[in-house]
Amino acid sequence: MIDILLRILVYGAVVSGIWALVASGFSLIFGVSRILNFAHGTFFVLSAYIGISLYKYGLDPYIASVVSVFLVGMIGVALYSGILARIKEHEVMIIIVTLAFALLVEQILILLFGEHGISYPSLITGVLRIGSVPITYKRILAFFVAIICLILLEVFINKTRTGKKVSASSQNVEGAMLVGINVDRIFMLTMFISAVLAGIGGILYTQVFAATPMVAMKSLIYAFAIVILGGLGSVRGSIVAAFIVGYVITIVITFFGARWSEFVTLLLIIAILIFRPTGLFGVEE
Amino acid sequence: MMVSKLPEMDMRQIIAWTIFLIAGLAIPFAVSEAFLYLLGLTMIFLILTISWDIIVGYTGQVNLGHTVFVGLGAYTAALLQVPSRFSGSVDFLANMSPVPVPVSILMGGIVAALFGLGIGIITLRLKGYYFSLVTAILPLVFMQSVYVFSNIFGGEEGFSIGLERSLSESPLLRYYFAFAVFMISFILIWLLVNSEIGLKFRAVRDDEVLAEALGINVVKYKILAFVTSSFFAGIGGATLVHYRITIGPDVYDIPLMLLIILSAVIGGLGTLYGPVFGGFAIYLLKNWWLKGAVQAFPAWLPVNDEVLLYILLIVVAVIAPEGLWSKIKRFTVKKEEALPE
Repeated sequence: MIDILLRILVYGAVVSGIWALVASGFSLIFGVSRILNFAHGTFFVLSAYIGISLYKYGLDPYIASVVSVFLVGMIGVALYSGILARIKEHEVMIIIVTLAFALLVEQILILLFGEHGISYPSLITGVLRIGSVPITYKRILAFFVAIICLILLEVFINKTRTGKKVSASSQNVEGAMLVGINVDRIFMLTMFISAVLAGIGGILYTQVFAATPMVAMKSLIYAFAIVILGGLGSVRGSIVAAFIVGYVITIVITFFGARWSEFVTLLLIIAILIFRPTGLFGVEE
Repeated sequence: MMVSKLPEMDMRQIIAWTIFLIAGLAIPFAVSEAFLYLLGLTMIFLILTISWDIIVGYTGQVNLGHTVFVGLGAYTAALLQVPSRFSGSVDFLANMSPVPVPVSILMGGIVAALFGLGIGIITLRLKGYYFSLVTAILPLVFMQSVYVFSNIFGGEEGFSIGLERSLSESPLLRYYFAFAVFMISFILIWLLVNSEIGLKFRAVRDDEVLAEALGINVVKYKILAFVTSSFFAGIGGATLVHYRITIGPDVYDIPLMLLIILSAVIGGLGTLYGPVFGGFAIYLLKNWWLKGAVQAFPAWLPVNDEVLLYILLIVVAVIAPEGLWSKIKRFTVKKEEALPE
């Protein structure tokens, strides 16, 4: 029994850390620019596939990770400035275009790599044993990288000048423009950070689990549950909610099997919407 | 449904409809049986595009889970025809005797509408984003349900309801049946969106605050639009099952959702006619010659028919965010205005 509890505690922390990265990026871009980015899961999957390809061409796995995360960030910027910035007034179209982009990338990845799952080359090997529960160093690495990234994100938004410009733009776009903030540059920067966070999440995820092109859409289920629970647009809420959702999913998978995780997540979302529609940290608009 | 005064149709519309009706009735005698089968599927697809337009085009709520209601209607109809699939899990349902086809189609619509009511009550009282987020994940969850309860729903392969339970054993009559269901659906939806209720739908879409101030119960009309939209999606799904005899998880799937979106966006949202034209063009494009068009690309390029469709959708959305149809219309109007007096 203690074994199971320990396993849930450790594995849940890893899953939660990864989803916190993904969801905070999704929440960030929505909070700042009101873009509901259905292609967010695509950044998550793309970074893993780009990293694996770079590794196969002979790059060191660490360098491959950094390069692929940066590339995914640039793809995010390109998506924003090439397409989304032009149709920003049409909310319906933003949703449709990002969804179409996500499915487009999914199809291309299936054509190039096939539907089977792939794993990232190990950045670190070894196993730590706590009692009889084996914990690979990969999981520990994933957890700590995720936590460090989240702390950096918090520091960036609250302490740096640029970060303050980001939160100013998220509070009031017109006001931010009036005090001389180049809002379009801020949006681009936010898109870059958002995509990078998803990209890091993707690499950490494929370290531990296998990824398929279809994970891009499936990861959205968890990301949505987290941002709805945390409150749309609240980065801090997303982080707290990620740990709640992460542990719920881990418990469900441990006791009932992975195939129930989508159902339970949907039920969770519905329950939140019935009892606390503004989420834990959301503000009434 | 209260229709105080029948909306008027102008002469051009009547002529267009007469031509469409005659063409629809006469075309089976001019085309091959395989193409006729495809045309019937197109008619059913049009039910899906016009019903999606009710909630998205007329009330402005982006429903990304329309295929869930299609699937619910389809699986309801299929299970009503083959209740023996319940044996071993829900035994009391397994002994139902199969119902007549029209009943099963109607039940498909009702089940979809009830589910839409539940989802609508929870999500439509919140900001529009929540509705999109929740409807977006519904297809993924329902796809999963088909695999989890595969002894009932048939898993990946689905199951067949048998030719004797189809709309008709003659391909010609089957086509006419699909055509009739489309016509009836179109007329009912047309009456709804052109009635006073439809006017309120549009008021909600254009300015929620103003609509509320005018005494329109915004949430109630959003839910009404969503339930109607889901009902016709269910009708479409149930008709599809009786048309092609088989059922599988593809009815829930996101590519079908994108096809519906693409058709309505190209045709123009909130016009009803737009999604009909768009649906016709896109469905035939995809199933008739897009697969051939893919062959024209060099083999090393990762291109298939879906890739081409998604690129098309993104391009159209960037060029004409308000729909290609309204772009064309504005272009012609501008030309007329530019004429010297």
